[in-house]
Amino acid sequence: MQWLYLYFPNLQLDSLLHQQAYNQACVLVDKNEVVQTNSEARQLGIKIGTGLGQAALLCAQLKVIAYESKQEQRLLAQLAQRLYQTSATLYLDPPQGLLLQTSDMLRLYGGLAPYWQHLQQPLMDRGLHYHYASAHSPLAAQVLARAGNDRLLTNPDEATGLLRQLPIHHAGLSYKLSLQLERLGLNTLGQAQALPRSALGQRLGLTLVTYLQQLEDSSAPSRPAYQPPERFRQRLELLYEIEHSTALRFPLKRLLSDLEAFLAPRQLRVAGLSLGLEYREHTAERIHIGCSDGEYRAESWLSLSMLRLEQLRLQAPIIAISLKTKGQMPWAPLSAQLFEPSGGKLTAGQLISRLQNKLGDHAVQQVYLRDDHRPERSFYQGVPQSHYQIQQATTFLRPSLLFTLPQALNHKPDHQWCILSGPERIQSGWWDNVSICRDYFIARNPIGQVCWLFRTPREEWFLHGYFS
Amino acid sequence: MALLQLEKERLVWRARQLTGPDHRRQSSFYPTLDAHLQGGWPQTGLVELACGPAGIGELRLLLPLLAQAQSRLHVWINPPAELNGQALAQHGIDLSQTLLIRCQNPQQALWSAEQSLNSGCCSHLILWAPKLTAPQAKRLQVSAKDNQALMFWLHPQAEPSTSALPISARLSLAPLATGLRLQIHKYQGQWPQHSCQVDMHELWPSLAVPAHLPTHHGPAPLSNIAALPLKPR
Repeated sequence: MQWLYLYFPNLQLDSLLHQQAYNQACVLVDKNEVVQTNSEARQLGIKIGTGLGQAALLCAQLKVIAYESKQEQRLLAQLAQRLYQTSATLYLDPPQGLLLQTSDMLRLYGGLAPYWQHLQQPLMDRGLHYHYASAHSPLAAQVLARAGNDRLLTNPDEATGLLRQLPIHHAGLSYKLSLQLERLGLNTLGQAQALPRSALGQRLGLTLVTYLQQLEDSSAPSRPAYQPPERFRQRLELLYEIEHSTALRFPLKRLLSDLEAFLAPRQLRVAGLSLGLEYREHTAERIHIGCSDGEYRAESWLSLSMLRLEQLRLQAPIIAISLKTKGQMPWAPLSAQLFEPSGGKLTAGQLISRLQNKLGDHAVQQVYLRDDHRPERSFYQGVPQSHYQIQQATTFLRPSLLFTLPQALNHKPDHQWCILSGPERIQSGWWDNVSICRDYFIARNPIGQVCWLFRTPREEWFLHGYFS
Repeated sequence: MALLQLEKERLVWRARQLTGPDHRRQSSFYPTLDAHLQGGWPQTGLVELACGPAGIGELRLLLPLLAQAQSRLHVWINPPAELNGQALAQHGIDLSQTLLIRCQNPQQALWSAEQSLNSGCCSHLILWAPKLTAPQAKRLQVSAKDNQALMFWLHPQAEPSTSALPISARLSLAPLATGLRLQIHKYQGQWPQHSCQVDMHELWPSLAVPAHLPTHHGPAPLSNIAALPLKPR
């Protein structure tokens, strides 16, 4: 079996700086020690392992960001998710490595070189620095990649040759072990390999023997291979704090294009997004963006999201955003009407989503009927649903405009009012404590409005609607 | 040839062409109104209806038309009270194709109207708004025309807007016992007519008296019936 190892020494910093056009020295710091540097920082002489104090002396305007291993693991998983589209079997090797089994994929791509080209593209798109090596065993590939070998070797002998010449302190052994080996006069890995294993095991412990065996063992690692998640979930840390909601457009676009890359090959669409905004010194907030028809394209989601974000007032500067999906469904092309007079640009569902995102979910409604004799309860307004249940309407004449709360008439209708129909008694609702007893009349008032009036047993008169 | 084409499309019309139905109109299902409007409502565009107070029969004027065209959405924006689903369903309106939008401010109402028209999936739009400026009316008129939609703008003033808005028709409505009196101030493609009476007795027998009955033979005043005893509970 053939293996390829990808090593990302600057994973978190590269992802952070990518597309954010930052050209000052910038370092990641863990426990007062520099762990990742960008090229500007390296030019100033800041090296990995430099103390924070010394780094600050070398560059006064140094941007210092805390290293987060959790965030780096997330980034590694995102990368694996993307590379999974090119390569079927891959293993995460946290915090900064990915192991790919190449032998199965070579027939599909027709050789190692075209396969490698396919792999490189997403890495370059993300602006990542990487080292790589291919070898006959997972550990050999890992050791060679971490040593910065950067070569694709097809012949196992070549890899073995390179390993033999590898200095012992580059072999990925623990510091103590490599020091012990060097004190024995073993400066390259080849020298250690040449010695009898049992003697080595007795003197230096089992770890070294296992290590040497694994260098030659081409079988797959015992841990399970990477499985892509069922649902999309991603978080993006911002290098700059964002204070205006419209400026979220660019980072959001990045997340949405990742979403599209996630959904498109799976032939899925989602009905809603949940956008998390993480504030500085303020509790995080989640915003829901809906599209009842379901959508997967980044462009459509972006325009829907911007409708909602335009109205948002940020409570504090934003330091990170995250994206989750809701209501995943299979993608199906919408059937168009062949004989319709005009080809609609949007479907009804898309129009409703646009309106809802701008005006709020409750501003856009559909009218639903209910079996109830009480006029104000015989229908209700609710959020539009894709499947509308049609119900039979009452046969009694009802006004088209109805007041939710009947309006009390100041004085009893006099001779200037003209009765058109009535009375119609509605007495109902004794079972749920909202019982009514009303005598309804249809009457035209002096200014010509056709009103729906009712009278209560207490001789109070109310206006309930208009036959508009 | 080009002129003939324009005339056929009724983009250019001769002053003597006052009669004859136009195939580019949709029937209002009120024979008298169809006769006065040379075939009915326009197929597309913006129609202003100055209604005065709500409830004089302005929706009864439109419901027969709406009940006929149900292939695309009907959008209602900011009606002055709750839209009674029972009444709409009674008159044959498909509630699954009815969308109700409530906006906080006039700008949002206009935005929703324009979005609905431009989506191409809305055939009729009814907007209640107190005022439209000429540029706003023009935008809505163009959106409606481009997307084969007919938009009605209802407002509570008794008189239509005085400024010459670039829209398809401008009418004002006044209540009558028999139905409505329509004043046609502007109608694209024909001379403005003075007024016409729409008889609603045929479609709504219990809401309008027949036209041939004199008004004083109409129903009894309410005061007589108000004294009806109500059964004690």
